[in-house]
Amino acid sequence: MGKLKKFFQYENVGILFVLPAFLYMLIFVGYPIIQNVILSFQDVTAGNLVRGTKNFIALENYLVLFKDDVFMTSLKNTLSYTILCLVFQFVIGFALALFFSKRFTLSKPIRGILLVPWMIPVTVTALMFKLLFATDIGVINYILRSLHIIEENIEWLTTPGTAMFALVFANVWIGIPFNMILISTGLTTIPKELYESASIDGANKVQSFINITLPLLKPTIESVLILGFIYTFKVYDLVYVMTSGGPVNSTHMLSTYSYKLSFEMFQYSKGSAVANVLLVILMIVGSFYIKVTTEGEDD
Amino acid sequence: MDEEKKVSKKANLMLCIFSVIILCVLLFPLYWALITSLKTEQEIFQNPPTFYPHILNLKSYAAQVETGDFNMFRSFGNSFLISIGAMAIAVILAVPASYGIAKYRFAGRKAMLLSFLVTQMLPVSVLLTPMFIMFKNMHVYNTWIAAVLADATIGIPFSILILKNYFASIPKDMEEAAYLDGCNRFTAFIRILIPIAKPGVMVCAIFSFLYAWGDLAYGMTFILDQEKRPITAGIFNFMGQYGTKWSYLSAFAIVTIIPVALIFIFMQKYIVSGMTSGAVKG
Repeated sequence: MGKLKKFFQYENVGILFVLPAFLYMLIFVGYPIIQNVILSFQDVTAGNLVRGTKNFIALENYLVLFKDDVFMTSLKNTLSYTILCLVFQFVIGFALALFFSKRFTLSKPIRGILLVPWMIPVTVTALMFKLLFATDIGVINYILRSLHIIEENIEWLTTPGTAMFALVFANVWIGIPFNMILISTGLTTIPKELYESASIDGANKVQSFINITLPLLKPTIESVLILGFIYTFKVYDLVYVMTSGGPVNSTHMLSTYSYKLSFEMFQYSKGSAVANVLLVILMIVGSFYIKVTTEGEDD
Repeated sequence: MDEEKKVSKKANLMLCIFSVIILCVLLFPLYWALITSLKTEQEIFQNPPTFYPHILNLKSYAAQVETGDFNMFRSFGNSFLISIGAMAIAVILAVPASYGIAKYRFAGRKAMLLSFLVTQMLPVSVLLTPMFIMFKNMHVYNTWIAAVLADATIGIPFSILILKNYFASIPKDMEEAAYLDGCNRFTAFIRILIPIAKPGVMVCAIFSFLYAWGDLAYGMTFILDQEKRPITAGIFNFMGQYGTKWSYLSAFAIVTIIPVALIFIFMQKYIVSGMTSGAVKG
């Protein structure tokens, strides 16, 4: 008892404050992660999920995956989807941040309202874009027809290539505010004097953008892109609601395929293996984020 | 900031007009969902489409109250209950935890901080099946408790990472003054530090609520009975059932947005603060 009391003097009292939250996360997140790894080495289906013997089959689930066409498509889809989304939302978000950094009467209020798409539940966003991309009543087809870009209505969500386009489009809509606001905040940290002295030295706007804005924004850009990657790469709701991975599995992502295996085909172990592949990729990218955020952090 | 040159009057007008155009383009999907919910089913299928409801139709909302097969307001209530529950757990656990991390240099501090950072990046897919088994064993599967417990795991790490900065920014003198006044560590924390960090606590409460409100995966997987499901899972179910009944579906979407809109209108400054401190969505 005396020893325990001594341990909890001074700095170690902090542990008592953190412990409840830490234990909660350990029980509801830490333990499940370990369970998920174990699950992926077993042969669990609906039959032996709660009761019954679970056989250890080592890497079998993973080996099967790499011969599974749908898995390979999901992996490719997730990567190309993430990269496409990142490029568009970053470029548009950056442009808007620069635009709203000008001081005009409506700059602040409108920039504020533009955050709304980011806050809306993704299920609702998915529904709204399903409505916009609908074949017969969809307003996107109507606009394209009016502009004579297309003759016949496009079946956006039931044609492989266009379904992917629709998903990227919807996700970029969610991502723009996030990119915009982070870059806006980054821009305010750049001292104005730098631009003034650059213009005295005869630099034009493009030159000062390349030589001042970009280098000074580097930390912001890094975290925007990495956080964007993490969020986009684990996309689930949007794809599940808009296409459910269809048509013919062409828009499956790692997360939706994992869900399908586990909760529609009841092959829990296979589903876990897919989820773990997703996790490993996220952790690799995430470690860069941790490096960026903990740099300069007091220890 | 204030030294910045103001734009000329003419440029100001042009920029305002241009920014309103940007606003209209970007928020068009929301406008379209709103007017679709107010149109008759017949008008929705009209070609060319109408850009405002020619006949105002409130039946899509009213039908939700009247018909018993799927009640929008009930699932709204479920969502509310689940989100408040998850928010309460997240705030109650995260406030002391972030204080501990910000103010004490104890053994294992870095490892704990890192583990909270990592959990923020986890995909739901990794947790769904093990949680599903766990909740079955705990006998909370198919109850709202399962969704509350799962949703809180999104809010907790986010809240800790945000709040630790708030607590860290409070000067040590303030705490020491409290000790001189006879407070101990716990009473100083409750009486002095929490009130100072209140804006941070607000950010955490709002985001924990929003994360839970927007959740689909947990609510859909851990709650099976339609009458217990949150509104997001309800929408998804509704889509399967009614296919292209767009007036109903968009009414559903609009009702789901209401709390989000209210939070946005009344607490916008907290939203910006939460987003810029490194929020990964969902």
